[in-house]
Order: sequence, then structure tokens, then C-alpha cells
Amino acid sequence: MPFVTPEFLPALPEILLAVMACLVLLVDLYFGRRHPSWVFLLAQASLVLCALLCIALYPEEPTTTFNGTFRSDGMSAVLKVFMILVTYFVLFYSKFYLDVRDLFKGEYFVLSLFAVLGMMILVSAASLLTLYLGLELMALCLYALVALNRESSMASEAAMKYFVLGALASGTLLYGMSLLYGVTGSLELDRIREYQSVGGEIDIILVLGLVFIVVGVAFKLGAAPFHMWVPDVYEGAPTSVTLFVGTAPKIAAFGMLMRLLVDGLAGVQGDWIEMLTILSVLSMAVGNIIAIAQTNLKRMLAYSTIAHVGFLLLGIIAGTRAGYAASMFYVIVYALMGLGAFGMIIVLGSKGFESDRLDDFRGLNERSPWLAFLVLVLMLSMAGVPPFVGFWAKWSVLREVVAADQVWLATVAVVLAVIGLFYYLRVVRLVYFEEGQEAAPLVCGTDVKVMISTNALAILALGVYPSALLALCVTALG
Amino acid sequence: MAELVVFYCFAAILVFAAFRVITVRNPVHAALFLVLAFFSSACVWILLEAEFLAIVLVLVYVGAVMVLFLFVVMMLDINLAPLREGFTRYLGLGAAVAVLIVAQLLLVLGSDRFGLERVGAPVRRAADYSNTEELGVLLYTVYAYPFEIAAVVLLVAIIAAISLTMRRRPGIKAQNPAEQVAVRRSDRVRLVKMRSESRR
Amino acid sequence: MLSLPHFLGLGAILFCLSVAGIFLNRKNVIILLMAIELLLLSVNMNFIAFSHFHGDLAGQIFVFFILTVAAAEAAIGLAILVVLFRSRQTINVDDLNTMKG
Repeated sequence: MPFVTPEFLPALPEILLAVMACLVLLVDLYFGRRHPSWVFLLAQASLVLCALLCIALYPEEPTTTFNGTFRSDGMSAVLKVFMILVTYFVLFYSKFYLDVRDLFKGEYFVLSLFAVLGMMILVSAASLLTLYLGLELMALCLYALVALNRESSMASEAAMKYFVLGALASGTLLYGMSLLYGVTGSLELDRIREYQSVGGEIDIILVLGLVFIVVGVAFKLGAAPFHMWVPDVYEGAPTSVTLFVGTAPKIAAFGMLMRLLVDGLAGVQGDWIEMLTILSVLSMAVGNIIAIAQTNLKRMLAYSTIAHVGFLLLGIIAGTRAGYAASMFYVIVYALMGLGAFGMIIVLGSKGFESDRLDDFRGLNERSPWLAFLVLVLMLSMAGVPPFVGFWAKWSVLREVVAADQVWLATVAVVLAVIGLFYYLRVVRLVYFEEGQEAAPLVCGTDVKVMISTNALAILALGVYPSALLALCVTALG
Repeated sequence: MAELVVFYCFAAILVFAAFRVITVRNPVHAALFLVLAFFSSACVWILLEAEFLAIVLVLVYVGAVMVLFLFVVMMLDINLAPLREGFTRYLGLGAAVAVLIVAQLLLVLGSDRFGLERVGAPVRRAADYSNTEELGVLLYTVYAYPFEIAAVVLLVAIIAAISLTMRRRPGIKAQNPAEQVAVRRSDRVRLVKMRSESRR
Repeated sequence: MLSLPHFLGLGAILFCLSVAGIFLNRKNVIILLMAIELLLLSVNMNFIAFSHFHGDLAGQIFVFFILTVAAAEAAIGLAILVVLFRSRQTINVDDLNTMKG
């Protein structure tokens, strides 16, 4: 392969973030003791700068640089901006969570920034190699973040489970990648796709590789039957880390799925549609049904995530550009809703009190009518009740599934979504129609309240006017 | 032909070592069997003309990673007895599933899809061919971007490992290299003039 | 004559042994970590074999990066193990039952 001097401009956001993360590390080293808030402010500033840079460098044409290892296109730019936005909120909630519990550590923010860097590399990967490295960079940061509270044995147990299953997933993914490389003789996703369009008959080894890749991605996404780590990690991790694990990486995982299956393996689309259909139906069933039995809100939301992943896959199963756009819309909306829901657990908590049991939400309306209203918005949106954006997300993927002549799948999805309605409404009932036992004091400041309100009101606004975001997704996928 | 014998020799050792890694009782033995597995796969890689990676596997893996494993095993002082309970419970099912998957994979991968007729015999390299040089040239030009990401991955590993395990305990005895370097003779040596004692 | 299926077969056997190891040694975390190393070794075997028979160095480059990441992964895995051991005085996963699977 001849070497071409790469264009650095499209990768400027990644370069900036890497430099800023190192800078944050240094600031933490020299000023961390005296001015802990500097670390936080600098981390937030670098996220804002990076997002602005992503928008300024929005590529008109897809460009591939660094000798076929880096790709910048509409999808990667939009996903990056939303991942950064979500992380901005996550760090804001995290600061409050860590401050209240005296757990504030500069490394937390450094590792978060590096995790975002990993996600950005992942969604703009043009070769299997950068895809793997981005995935691992993200995953290693997340394992460490889960374990960062060393006093909590539950957190370290969750970290260990997350680590072992995550490593198993990467191993499976790698095995699939090695088979793809063996068949096509190249690591570049474009070359892999070209090979299939030339080949004519479908190679059985390619399908075998595809199986391993789908299993690996399903592990990472937390789709049933590879979901067993999700509830444990969500429950065991500190809530601020759960918030992070449950939101931004989902957007990145969607990007990974698009890169691998749509960019790289378009030639065996029929095969991966079948596999994803099984994953999707199982995830929606397992997620929505087991969530009913949960008494811990973090666990309940974990199962709800599994169900949402099932829905998210529906758009990809449709196998059309419009379907992918619907899935992209879904994952962005899901990240915003998850942000609000886990953010609410953080807002209601205080030192030594996690507020993660369902009973802790009893009678919230008496304690704070405004927060109770926000919970109502978040839960109804997650359930997919009409005026909220969650409904439009579900509606757009279902429409594409029906357009792809898979009416039975859409019917199953609707039935399972109706079952899911039950446990979201139970939270609303607890908040509005039950007596609270004792009034735990709310310690959150105005700034955190403003953030959570912005978050929930954005969901409300997007529900009234969803077409802008949906149109953005359609143009991004071109 | 000789290559075939060598391959089967090392492959057999490798599979045996890997099998022992997952079945032995003692983690120290498991780590040592893993070292054996790494050594024999390095030999197999030499057969595949991947000299640089074979050496790296021995130097980095056996030299650093496995030593880290052994260090942690010994540091943690693990009670071994309860770790083995339940092993046999899953053994039958696990073995059956594993054998089934191996058989399937071998059936697919061993088909003539990858036979010499389809893939062709590899080109023999000349004696002065340097695998290391070729890899180096590629690594610093075409794969410069992944190389930088790998650097970040290692940095993250350092940050994570330190922030997870370092404890500031009071009263710990540690060296301060800066003080050691900055030390002057007058801090350490005091010349005392004494009159020699006269013999009585 | 050595051909690709020899090496792929070896890789497949290693892969299955390590996956079996992960499921059999669910109680002993340190052996779990070693099984993960074996898993990556099997992948490396595949990549190097393909790289040799295709006459293309990209596979060896990939192995180089897998080795790097695996070292980082081992460091973080062992760090988590140490944290776990300090808080529990055990690495027996069965004692790790504050959460139900």
C-alpha cells in the first residue's frame, strides 16, 4: 500500500480532545488539590470546543484519510456532536454526585474524556483496526470508571463482571474480524465491501465471520441473549457512571454497528438481517417483561435499556437508508431520555442515600411538584406515549419496518411496547398517587435543577417538533 | 515435511498447555502453563515467518504481562480450596459444547476453501528479508493513526491502574529520588578530627 | 505441506478452549483473566496465518496492536482484581453474590 501524507484537518476534533485530556491530567496533577473545580471546568470547556469544531468541520463529502483508517462523513459528525453533548450533561450530573459524596477525583474526568475520544474514533473508523482500537479505548475507560469508587465492593464486583464479559465480547469480535480479513485480504471496510460485490456467490467463511461479529456487537450493545451483564453493571456502578455507560456508548455502539454491517458487510445483508431480527425480538421481550419484576430503579432502567436496544435494531433490520436514519434518531432520543432518567436518580440522591429504589420515588409530588412533573415527562417519553419524543422514535422505526414488509415484527414490537408501558406507568403512579414515608431532603443546587429541567424540556420540545432532528439524521446518512 | 513435524510438535504442546491453563487447580501453575503456551505459539509464528511478533510475544508477554500475573497471584494470597468447587458441575456440559464448536469450526475452516489450491502457497522470502524493518516502515507511515491511538490506550491503562490501586498510607517508607540526587557531601559525611590515642 | 487449515484449526481449538475456560472457571477470576489472554492468542494465530498466506503485512500489524491492547487490558483487569480483593478478601465469584445474575 503506497503511503500518502494524511490530511489532518478532518481528525482535528480527535486531536484536540486527546491534547485537552492530557492537559486536564496535568492540571489535576498540579492544581487538583487546591482547585478541584478547575479540572471539571477545563474538561467541560474541552468538550464544548470539540463539539464546535465538529460542527465547523461538518464534511460536505465523505472523506477518508490516514491511508484508509479514518473516515469523516455526515453520520460520524452528527453522532460525535450528540455523544459530546450527552457527555457534557453526564459530567455536570457527575460533578454534583461526586461532590455530595466526597468522591471527587480528577481521574474521573480524564477517563471520561478519553472514553469520549474512544467513541469518536469508533464512529469514524474506516478500517477494522481503528474500529477495534476505538472500541477498546472506550471500554477500558469505562471498566476503570465503574471501579473508581474503591470503597464500594459492589462497584468493584460490577467492574469485574463488566470487564470479563467485555473482554469476551472483544475476543469474539476479533475472531470474526480475523475471518473477514482472511476472506477478503484487507482490513479496510470499503475493500471488504467491494470484495463481496465482486464475489458473486456468498462465501460461507464470510457468514461465519459475520456470526462472530454480530455476537460480539450484541454483547457490547447489551442485546438479549447477551445481556446478562447489563443489570448487574447498571446496579453496581456508581449512579453517575451508570448514567455514562447507559447513554453515550449506546450512540457509539450504533455507529459501530453501522460501520461494520452497512459499510463493511453490505453484501451479506440478508444474513445479518435474520440474526438481528432474533436479537431484536428477544431483547424487546426480555427487557419489557423482566423489568416488571424489578424493585430497584437502576435495574429496571437496565432492562428498559435492553428493550430499547431491541427497538433500535428494528430500523437496521428494515435495511434501507430511511430505516438507518430512523434507528439513528432512536438512539439519539434514547440517549437523551436515559440521561434524564438516570440524572433524576442523581438529583434526588444525597450523601449516603442513592434514591435508586422504586420506593424512594413514592410521593415525590408532595416534596417537589416540578421534579415530579419532569419524572412524568421522562417516563411517558420512555414508554412511548404520543406527545413525547419517545413516541416519535418508536413510530419512525416501526414505520420503516412496515415499509420493509415485516408487519409481523412490527406487531410483536407494538405488543411488547404496550407490556412495557406498565412498569413506566408504575413509577408515575408512585410519584403522584402514593404517600411518601419520610421526606428525604433534596440537596441539589439550582444549577443541577436547571440542567435536568433543560434535559426534560428538550424531550418535550422534540416531541412537539421531531421533524428537525429526524431530517438531520436523514441528511447525515445521505 | 520437516516443517509439518515441527508444526505438529509445537501445536501439540500449545494445545496441551492451553488445556492445562483452564483445568489446573493452582493459579501459579496456570500462569506457568500460559507461559509455555506463549512460548510454543511463538515457535509456530516463526514457522509463519512472523519473526518480530514471535520475539515480541516472548519479550513483552512472557517478560512483562505474565510476570505481572504471577506478581498479583502471589501478592493476593488466595485461598485455593473454595475456588475449585463447582468446577465438575459444569465440566460435562462445557466440554460437550466446546467439542461441538471445535468440530463445527474445523469442518468449515478445514474445507478446501482455504486449501493450497485456492489460496496458493506463500511466497518464500529471501534470507536477507527483514520482517522487523517492513513492519516498522508500515507502522510509522500507513498505520500512524492507529499507532497514536495505541499510545493513548497505554496512557489510559497507566492512569487507570494507578488510580485504582495506589493508596496513600501514612508512615510508608519510600525513597525520594529528587532528594537523593540533590544530596551533598556535607549532608552525609561529617569529618571528625580526633587525636590518635596513645598506647598506654 | 503446511497449509492454512492447519493454523486455522489450531486457532479454532485455542478459541474453544479459552471460551470453555471462561465458562468452567466462573469462580476463579484470575484464571478467567488468563483464559482471556488465550482467547486473544487464538485470534493472533488466525491473523498471522492469514497474513502469511496472503503475503500481506496488514494482519501482522493488527496483531501488533492486539498485543498492545491486551497488555493494557491485562493491567486494568488485574487492577480491578486487586481492588476487588482488597474490598472482599476473596476472588471467588460465588462470594460475589450481593447482586443476583
